[in-house]
Amino acid sequence: MAESRRTFLKQSAATVAAVSLTGCAPGERAAETEGDALSRTDGTTPVPLPAATLRGVAEAVLPDELGEDGRERAVRAFERWSEALEPVAELSHPYLVPEIRYSGPDPRPGWAAQLEGLEKECESRHGVSLSDLEVPGRRELLARPLADTGPGLGAPQNADHVVAALLAHFFGSAIATDLCYGRAIRRELCRSIEGAEEEPAPLGAAP
Amino acid sequence: MSRAVGRTTRRVVESDVCIIGGGITAAMVAERLAERTGASITVVEAGERTASLDERSDTRARMLAYGENPWPNDHIRGQTGTGAMYNSMVVGGAAMHWGGAVPRFSPEDFRLRSLYGVASDWPISFDDIEPYFQEAEERMGVAGEQGPPEYDPRSKPYPMPPLPLSYSLARMREWTEKTDIPFWTQPWARNTEPYQGRDVCRRCDTCFVCPTGAKYTPDFAFDRLLEAGRIDLVTRTLVRRLSLEPGSDRIAVAEAVDRDAPDEPVEFRAGTFVIAAGHAWSSHLLLLSANSRFPDGLANRTGNVGRYMTGHWYLSGFINLPMRLYPGMFVYNSLLSRRFASPGPLDRYVRHDLRLWESNVGRAPRLTGENGQLLWGDEIMADWRARTESESSARVRAYYDLLPDRDSRLTLDAGRTNELGDPMPRIDYRPAQESIGLQDHTVETISGRFEQLARAAGGSVRSIGRPSELWEHPGGGCRMGNDPATSVVDRWGRTHDHENLFVVGAPTLVSGGCANGTLTFCALSLMSAEEMQKELPSA
Ligand SMILES: Cc1cc2nc3c(=O)[nH]c(=O)nc-3n(C[C@H](O)[C@H](O)[C@H](O)COP(=O)(O)OP(=O)(O)OC[C@H]3O[C@@H](n4cnc5c(N)ncnc54)[C@H](O)[C@@H]3O)c2cc1C
Ligand code: SF4
Repeated sequence: MAESRRTFLKQSAATVAAVSLTGCAPGERAAETEGDALSRTDGTTPVPLPAATLRGVAEAVLPDELGEDGRERAVRAFERWSEALEPVAELSHPYLVPEIRYSGPDPRPGWAAQLEGLEKECESRHGVSLSDLEVPGRRELLARPLADTGPGLGAPQNADHVVAALLAHFFGSAIATDLCYGRAIRRELCRSIEGAEEEPAPLGAAP
Repeated sequence: MSRAVGRTTRRVVESDVCIIGGGITAAMVAERLAERTGASITVVEAGERTASLDERSDTRARMLAYGENPWPNDHIRGQTGTGAMYNSMVVGGAAMHWGGAVPRFSPEDFRLRSLYGVASDWPISFDDIEPYFQEAEERMGVAGEQGPPEYDPRSKPYPMPPLPLSYSLARMREWTEKTDIPFWTQPWARNTEPYQGRDVCRRCDTCFVCPTGAKYTPDFAFDRLLEAGRIDLVTRTLVRRLSLEPGSDRIAVAEAVDRDAPDEPVEFRAGTFVIAAGHAWSSHLLLLSANSRFPDGLANRTGNVGRYMTGHWYLSGFINLPMRLYPGMFVYNSLLSRRFASPGPLDRYVRHDLRLWESNVGRAPRLTGENGQLLWGDEIMADWRARTESESSARVRAYYDLLPDRDSRLTLDAGRTNELGDPMPRIDYRPAQESIGLQDHTVETISGRFEQLARAAGGSVRSIGRPSELWEHPGGGCRMGNDPATSVVDRWGRTHDHENLFVVGAPTLVSGGCANGTLTFCALSLMSAEEMQKELPSA
C-alpha cells in the first residue's frame, strides 16, 4: 500500500509537469492542488511565509504516510497557491443573489506573523527552533491556534490561522481525496468521456 | 448614422428587428430570424464580453483555487435590484454561468386549472410547444436519455446520447431501481459528441465555467452570427426606455445610453422590437417607459406588467447509503425523475421533480474526532477513511410547483437608482393563497418520498432542510394569456397593447413549473420568433 501511494504521488507530480497550462488537455490536473497554473494579475509582491517554520508545522500536522517527498510537495503547492492569492477578489456569484461579494483582505501578513510567533514561542519555551522540536511538542504548541477552528476545514483563504490554512489546502486537494479512498478519483481532472462508469483504479495501478 | 440634436450627437441605429438583451433567449430569437428571414437584426446588450473560450482554463483555475468569479466584467456597477435576480449583465447573460440542466416542462404545467383546479391554464399546450422544445435542444445541443414516455414525452430523439454515469451514479441508479420511482439521466446542454464545432465533455466538473466549450453558452451563437454578418451586436449599451410613434401605439425607438459615451444618446429604430432582457429587466424596462398614453408603463393598460412573478422552491435532503461510492468523478451529472411532475389525478395538489447526486456530506475530512479531540496528520486521514470505507451520502432535491400570487410583483424602487438616476427593480415574490395552504402537504409528501428512497437502499435519511424560499428559475411579470385583462402578451409573446413589441422567454411564464426553466424560456422565445417571421422580409 505504502509503495503504491508513493508511486501515485510521483506520478501526480509528473502529470502536472507535462500538461499545458491553457486549455483543458486530457490529464490536466486541477490547479487547486498543485498551484502551477495559477498566475497573479494584481502585480503586487506577496509577503513570503517563513519557509523553515512552515515545513516544521507541516511535519507535525500533515499525514506521515505522505513521506518526506509528498509532504514537501504539499508544502510547495501551498506556497505557490498562497503566492498567487489575490485579496479582495470578486467571488463567484451565488445563485440569484444580486449583490457582488469579494474575498477578504490579504491573510498572508497575518499568516507570516503567526509563523514567526510560533517560532519565537518555541525558542522561548523549549530553546530550539520549531523544526528541531519533537513532533508531540510541536503539536502542543499548535493545538492552541487550532482549538478555535471548529471541526470543518473550509476554504484555506478564509482560515484565520496559517496552520488551518495549510491543513485545509492539503485535505481539500484532489491528491488527499485519492489517498483517502486509495483510488485514482482525480477530481476535476480533464479526461475522456469514455469509461466513466468504471470503478476508479487503485492507487499505483492507475495509468 | 449620427444626428446632431441640440449640442449632443445622437447615434441612430436602424434595423428591421431590434432585440434588447443579449442572453440565451435573445440568442435563440436572433439565430432563428437570421436563418429564416432576410431581416437586418440588431442585438443591444447592456454588458460587455466576458472570458473567451481560450481564457476559461485560467479563470477556471482561479475559481477552483480561490472561489473567484470566472466571468470577469459580468455585471454593471449600480445596475442591480432587490429580490432574487441574476447580476450577470454580459454578452450571453446568466447562461454564461449556468449549469446547463435542461429538462422540459411537463404537459401538466400548461393545464393546472383544467387538471387540478389551481392557478391558471396557459394559452398554449404541451403539444403546441413541443416542436420548439426540440428546436431549442438542437440549437444548444442537448445530450439526454429518453425517460419513460409517459413522464418524458418527446416526438424526436435527443440531439446527442446522454452523458455517461459515473461509477457512483451507476450504483445509485441500481439503488433507485429497487423503488417504483423511475429515474433516468438528467438532460444537459453539454456535448457527448463534437457539436457545432465545440468539443466533447471531459468530465472535469466545473460546469459553471467550462474550459472545453462542451457546455453551450450563448456567446457561441452570437459569434457564429457575427461571423456570418447576420447580426449587429451592440454592447455596453443600456436601453433606458421605449417610445411610441406619434399618434400610434407602435414602438418607434429604443432609447439607450452607450456606457462609454454617456452624453451621446443612442436611438435604435426598428420595425419589430423584442424585449429579451430576462425575468427582471423586461418588466422593468416596460415600467420605465411610462408616457402620457401609458402612464403606468408600456404594455400595461390592464396593470399586469410586473405581476405574477414566479419560479419554484425546493426541498433538499441527504441520504446515508450503505455502499462505497467515490464522490468527485463526475459530480455535475445527476439522476432525474419527472414521475411526480405528471402525477395523474390528485386529491390534493402537489407536483415536484426528484434529483439525485453523489455527495460527500458528513464524509469530508475534519479536524476533530467524535469526542471533539483534535486530530493530527494520519489521524485525520484515518478518521476520514473510516467514514468513507463502507458508507456514502447522496443528495436528493425536489423542485416543487409554487403558484404565484397576482401581487407577486416587480415594481420600480425609487429608493434605489443606477448611475443615470433610473429607479431599479424590486421584486417581492409571493405565493398564491392556495399554494400557502398546500405547503405542509407538499413538504410531507416529498419528505415521504425521500424516506422511501432511503429505505430502498437500506439506508437512512440523514437530514432534510427547510423549504428553500428562493424562487428558482424565475419568470413572470409579463405573463401570456388570451385575455388582455389578465395578461400582458398573447401566446406568441406579442404585447396586447403594441403590435410591434414582443416580450420573449421567462417573463411570459404563467407559472414556474417544477423543472429548471431555461429550456422552456428558449422554446417560448422560438415560438415568438416564428410569429415575428411572418412580418419580416424573407431570406
Ligand atoms: C449559476 C447559475 C446556474 C444556472 N443553471 C441553470 C441550469 O442548469 N438550468 C437552467 O434551466 N437554468 C439555469 N440557470 C438559469 C439560466 O441561466 C437563466 O434562466 C437564463 O440564462 C435566462 O436567460 P434570459 O435570456 O431569460 O435572461 P438573461 O440571461 O438575464 O439575459 C438578459 C440580458 O439582457 C441584458 N439586458 C437587460 N436589460 C437590458 C437593457 N435595458 N438594455 C440592454 N440589455 C439589457 C442583460 O445584461 C442580460 O445579459 C442558472 C443560472 C445561474 C446564474
Ligand atoms: S464536465 Fe464537461 S461540461 Fe462540465 S466543465 Fe467539464 S468539460 Fe465542460
